[in-house]
Amino acid sequence: MPVPTANLPLPRGALSRRAALRSGVAATLAASRVLAPSLFVGCSLGIPPRAPTVRIGLLHSQTGPLAIGSTSLRDVELDAVERFNAAGGILGYAIDPRAPDTRSRTELFPKRATTLLDDGAVALFGCWSSGSRKAVLPLLEERDRLLFYPVQYEGNETSRNVIYGGQVPNQQVLPALDWLRSGPGGERKKFFLLGSDYVYPRTTNFIVRKWLAGTDAGIVGEEYFSLDTKDFAPVVTRIRESGADCILNTVNGAGNIALCAALAEAGIDPAKVPLVSTSISEDDLRSMPAAHVAGHWVLSSYFQTVDTPANAAWMAGFRGEFGQDRVFGDSMEAAWCLINLWKAAVEEAGSFATEAVRQVFAKGIGFDGPGGRMTIDPATQHATKYFRLGRVRPDRLCDVVVSSDGPLAPDPYPQVAFPGWKCDWTKGGLEPGPEVAIDG
Amino acid sequence: MPSTATPSNDRSRRAAVNRRRASVTIATSIDFTPSVPPVILTARTPPMFSDYSWYYEIPTTTAALLMVAAFVGFYWVGAVIVRPILRMFVRRAPGLNDLIGYILSCFCVFYGLLLGLIAVTAYQNVESAEQNVTREAAALSALYEDVSRYPEPHGQNLRWLIRDYTRYVIKYAWPLQQQGIIPEEGTIRAEALFDRLLDFQPSTPGEEILHAEALRQINHFLECRRLRLHSVKAGLPRAMWIVMFVGAFFNILLCWMFDTRFLTQLVLGGILAAYLGMMMYLIVDMNQPFRGEVSVSPEAFELLYKRMLED
Repeated sequence: MPVPTANLPLPRGALSRRAALRSGVAATLAASRVLAPSLFVGCSLGIPPRAPTVRIGLLHSQTGPLAIGSTSLRDVELDAVERFNAAGGILGYAIDPRAPDTRSRTELFPKRATTLLDDGAVALFGCWSSGSRKAVLPLLEERDRLLFYPVQYEGNETSRNVIYGGQVPNQQVLPALDWLRSGPGGERKKFFLLGSDYVYPRTTNFIVRKWLAGTDAGIVGEEYFSLDTKDFAPVVTRIRESGADCILNTVNGAGNIALCAALAEAGIDPAKVPLVSTSISEDDLRSMPAAHVAGHWVLSSYFQTVDTPANAAWMAGFRGEFGQDRVFGDSMEAAWCLINLWKAAVEEAGSFATEAVRQVFAKGIGFDGPGGRMTIDPATQHATKYFRLGRVRPDRLCDVVVSSDGPLAPDPYPQVAFPGWKCDWTKGGLEPGPEVAIDG
Repeated sequence: MPSTATPSNDRSRRAAVNRRRASVTIATSIDFTPSVPPVILTARTPPMFSDYSWYYEIPTTTAALLMVAAFVGFYWVGAVIVRPILRMFVRRAPGLNDLIGYILSCFCVFYGLLLGLIAVTAYQNVESAEQNVTREAAALSALYEDVSRYPEPHGQNLRWLIRDYTRYVIKYAWPLQQQGIIPEEGTIRAEALFDRLLDFQPSTPGEEILHAEALRQINHFLECRRLRLHSVKAGLPRAMWIVMFVGAFFNILLCWMFDTRFLTQLVLGGILAAYLGMMMYLIVDMNQPFRGEVSVSPEAFELLYKRMLED
């Protein structure tokens, strides 16, 4: 028979239930006092603090024919964002970059942009061709968001929703024509215009025709090719027959490889008939044999060989992250400047809101970039840019032959081509002139 | 063909935009004062009760202590509140205490086996994820070596893309995986790499052999990558969690029914509850291979990227 234990006296020194409970409650209260701050209000439990996030969209083609150049722009922008975040973000917010793939297809740009804006992107950076930029414009205006566009283009456009960071013709082609016609440029009088068949080459060459019309120089030929053209031998024959002393090249993409090969095979001497290209960067030159391109000329605002401490520091920083064999081009530099300008504008505005940022740009804001100072012109929201003409070296980098003394003011509507057209966002915006038909 | 691009094509649209801007400027002049940024995507306060992801952000020691404290606390509270009620049944039936002791022993054996097997499964998941990561990095490394022998600029373009992918995995994909999110933009980079590799047309027998090997490596890499992404969401099924927690509760319930002195009950039951808590901590921590302090690290990719940058 079991012995009941409930009412037996406790042995000496043993803890009674009441005493145990009392001690337990006291211990629990003491523990609660210590643990409460971390268990309840302001709970951290050692979880590292995480900054709130603001999203931006990087709109670049990462596959397809435009991928090589566009991917470099994405890398530059990611590098910039990582540096911003490492330094504490912008206004205390970490920047969350999203980079969908537009697959080198114009129709995908607005779709990807829509997704980015739906996901809360406060600004977009990117686009490549004029077609891609024009495709996202209606969306930007509808949602009132800013696009930072880093590529040189034909002008003839001003939007309140785009900050244009690339060169327009009056900062690139027109100063080049003046120099080519001068003594140091070889006093060239016979220009042959070659271009890909889309809006940028046709508009640029239209401006060139108008510009040269008032001079003693002339155009001895003008031809356009689809982007996938690989046979340039017939046109090289026609160039030779025309007696041209300069070829102004607005061909874009891989066609330049075939064009340079055809010129080299035909024995065209760059010293006598140089190919002056507007859309070739150091990235493109990598794909061409040195013998085909050395001695030809490239128009740009920035070259990798620009000898400034800012450029050296930028390249070293980027290469430390992405590899020592990376090369740098004009659009990469523009992309770097634009994203830094956006940061400066947001910080000055104290807000990511589009209108607040735009108001800062309306005051005129600048950034000392690797290629020199870039300022956004409040009237047109285009960048002031250096004009530089480079000669391709055997190592496929470019020596700067001519450079403007300082950044040139942008003029998206050169009056010689678009008379009466003006834009000044500080004084009412766009003033349209008479209709202009651009024919090739 | 003449181009039809004219400034006038856009004239009416621009005029409309100008008019809209004018009104926008007036409207926004009131709220122009810099304000709180409009888009805040992540808040500081973790959603403690709707989502358990906060658990994986707690340092290991704190998490272990928290789990043990939860189990022991639950047991002790029950010992004070529930035990007196349950003990009444035990005292009414002589010999029941021995029976409970016997059942508790049997139950502990079965439950211990279950916990042990589950812990092994969870550990194997982690190990398998780690192996996939190592294999993916190894395939990428081999591919990098292969494409380094390609003629330029193909070789350089491919090396850039491989570096880009590796960097993305380290800097962007891993933090997302640690939050239990499957990273999406790596797919774009992998596709870009695959496309670029297919662009290359070998022109010599040597290049053909090299290209065939590179294609084999990229397929192996893509397979490992898919397995890694699959493990991001891998974890024990919900049913297993239910069985584990119900089992732990029954274990504690049997202990509450055991008729011993109160202090003995607190100490012995507390030890059992603490060990249950430790086991649970172990399983929860290993449940998702990429989450928590003790998880698969991107070290294989980091070493690879470091070597790529040194080349």
